[in-house]
Amino acid sequence: MTAFIDLYTESGTFLHRMDPRVKIVAVATLSLLALIMSHLVYLLVLTAVMVVLILLGRASFQKTMLAFSYVFRVMALIVVLWPIFNPGGTPVLFELGPIRITEPGIMAGIATAVRIFCLAASWYLLMFTTSQRDLVCGLVKMGLRFDFGLSLAMALRFLPTFSAIVESIKDAQRARGMELDKGNLRKRARDYVAVLVPTIITALKMADMLSLALQSRAYGARSDRTYVRELKMLAGDYVALSIAVAVFAIPATAKYIFSIPL
Amino acid sequence: MIPRVPPSANQDKIISVHGVKFVYNGGVQALAGIDIDIRRGDYLAIVGGNGSGKTTLAKNMNGLLRPTNGSVTINGVSTSEQTVAELAKVIGYAFQNPDHQLFCSSVVEEVRFGPLNLGYPEAEVAKKTEMSIEAMGLSSVKDQPPFSLTLGERRRVSIASVMAMDPQVFILDEPTTGLDARETDDLMEGVDRLNLDGRTVVLITHDMKLVAKHAKRVVVMSEGRIVLDSDPRGVFTDLELLLRSKLIPPPVAQLAHRLSSLGVPRDVISPEELVFHLMSGRGALE
Amino acid sequence: MASVSMESKTTQTTVGVPPAKFVPPRTVALYAVLTALTTAVTMILVIPLPTRGYFNVGDAMVFFSAFTFGWRAGMICGGIGSALADLLLGFGFFAPITLVAKGSEGLVAGVLGRAYGGATWAKVLGIWAGGSCMVTTYFVGEWILFGFGNAALELPLNVGQVLLGGLIGLALSQAISRYRNPRPKAT
Repeated sequence: MTAFIDLYTESGTFLHRMDPRVKIVAVATLSLLALIMSHLVYLLVLTAVMVVLILLGRASFQKTMLAFSYVFRVMALIVVLWPIFNPGGTPVLFELGPIRITEPGIMAGIATAVRIFCLAASWYLLMFTTSQRDLVCGLVKMGLRFDFGLSLAMALRFLPTFSAIVESIKDAQRARGMELDKGNLRKRARDYVAVLVPTIITALKMADMLSLALQSRAYGARSDRTYVRELKMLAGDYVALSIAVAVFAIPATAKYIFSIPL
Repeated sequence: MIPRVPPSANQDKIISVHGVKFVYNGGVQALAGIDIDIRRGDYLAIVGGNGSGKTTLAKNMNGLLRPTNGSVTINGVSTSEQTVAELAKVIGYAFQNPDHQLFCSSVVEEVRFGPLNLGYPEAEVAKKTEMSIEAMGLSSVKDQPPFSLTLGERRRVSIASVMAMDPQVFILDEPTTGLDARETDDLMEGVDRLNLDGRTVVLITHDMKLVAKHAKRVVVMSEGRIVLDSDPRGVFTDLELLLRSKLIPPPVAQLAHRLSSLGVPRDVISPEELVFHLMSGRGALE
Repeated sequence: MASVSMESKTTQTTVGVPPAKFVPPRTVALYAVLTALTTAVTMILVIPLPTRGYFNVGDAMVFFSAFTFGWRAGMICGGIGSALADLLLGFGFFAPITLVAKGSEGLVAGVLGRAYGGATWAKVLGIWAGGSCMVTTYFVGEWILFGFGNAALELPLNVGQVLLGGLIGLALSQAISRYRNPRPKAT
């Protein structure tokens, strides 16, 4: 599946301007929220909130549909398979041999599928409103050591480059009669080796050059490194942060401490 | 005024390109309408600056890219009815970067990859491999791993592995980039021999000196169109067109143009010719 | 003529600031490249299947990184590289599970596969053990998230993926080790 390498859609919405650290925390809290809720009604409310946020973020419809294509397929499978393997409760709607479909089973299946949607949506919100550079910046500011952050940023930067190289090598080998989509296991493995060996060798040569580039730019020379871009939390960011935490903390307390069924 | 290569009665068209337009996925139009016929036995150079569409055109010929409009016909059959692998039997394509094709543990294995893919029986494969390795002067290194060879040798391995597939047409994409003078001569000697053996050779290059020395027909491309299709003399007569197409004419041609007031004709394409004209010239050099 | 002061007034350089305790630049570059390759391969070299969707060759890169560069590379580059693919393809919520699944695959394969100087049987053992970690992690994770049905459906596909990836990864590590060992001629 060749998807867009970057889900990020440039825009000026409040979601885009939010500090990446807040968004990262929000994804964590929203994911946890989706995981602890099991009642369909509440999950649907969460779904509605997610959809509104996606709309507010002005995501491109095409990209969103592409990004969710796999998720929708998984959701459909869940709705179909869950009742078959979770035949608990009453009323029983259908029975054939070992298979028993109950209404609670179906409802639970639908709830699970909706939960997956909420999970996918919260991560999608992060990915399409945050540029890769901001993501790495945020992680480093949150404590990721600089050298790891640098390696991560470099990996992201070289992703399109290597994708192009893989495609180019695929073409080059196809011009020698190689057909990747035909043949048994052994032949296909051999064909993938034909594509991957030149790719890896090219990549390793690049790594050598990159290492030299890093050294000639005084990598690691001092421990008190300064940054070109500083992330500053604004008032709005703090508000968003508290909302993100509250959105999880309140339902969690309700469910686990006060035993309100969620 | 600029002479076209007169079609020989015996030559048949091996590649026919009709009204081909090509637009890449991102919307970039690389070919804006190409019509060209390549005849069996041609020794053709496609030249043009970066972005002129020469590689795109070549890839449309061997099926790696399919025309957005128009058609490409190989030996009378449209490419739309053939897979890349099928076309590889007729059209061999040596990529610009040989390191994108080499992956085996010895030159012999590498050269065998192509013909094996095409399903030739073992005896054939062995014969073709042996022949190509010799033709490209690689016999002394045939058991070494390809990545331990020099760039010139790796280029020749890449071409040998295409040769072993025994195609009728050879498309060579920038075969001399990065090679020194000696390596270039060795390589082009092998390529010239390919044409002498009756194969059609298409060189994609922007090295005009190479073109002047080896090609019999030159197609100049600029911005997705063919702007000139002639023999080297014809092409070098029009220096302005070359410069506009972002090509640097070979020094010999530039010098000939500047000396035209001394009676040197403009269509000089080799240093030997230039010397001849100067020596037998209209008396200006005393 | 005014004398030019060479002292910079904007930066206060203090002599004696120690160098940063970072991993060497070779490692930063290598890991970046291996991670990017793993992600690229996971996203591009993909075989569409009727039921689940896609079968990818990413495991080959996990095994290759582990066998050629050690368990740390296998774990970090394989884990993060594969998780990145999830993030970029629209199922970012699955990334933490992939991180653990492929990270453990690389870790185990790297530890076992480099035993006895990297003998082939050691690598095969590494593929089997690492692959089991990956398949188990995915099975458990999918069971919790998607339900038993989905998890069971994916199980044979994940096993198949490990087999293909293992075969390729093994061949890759053998081919590339020939490249990395002293070359007779430089270009």
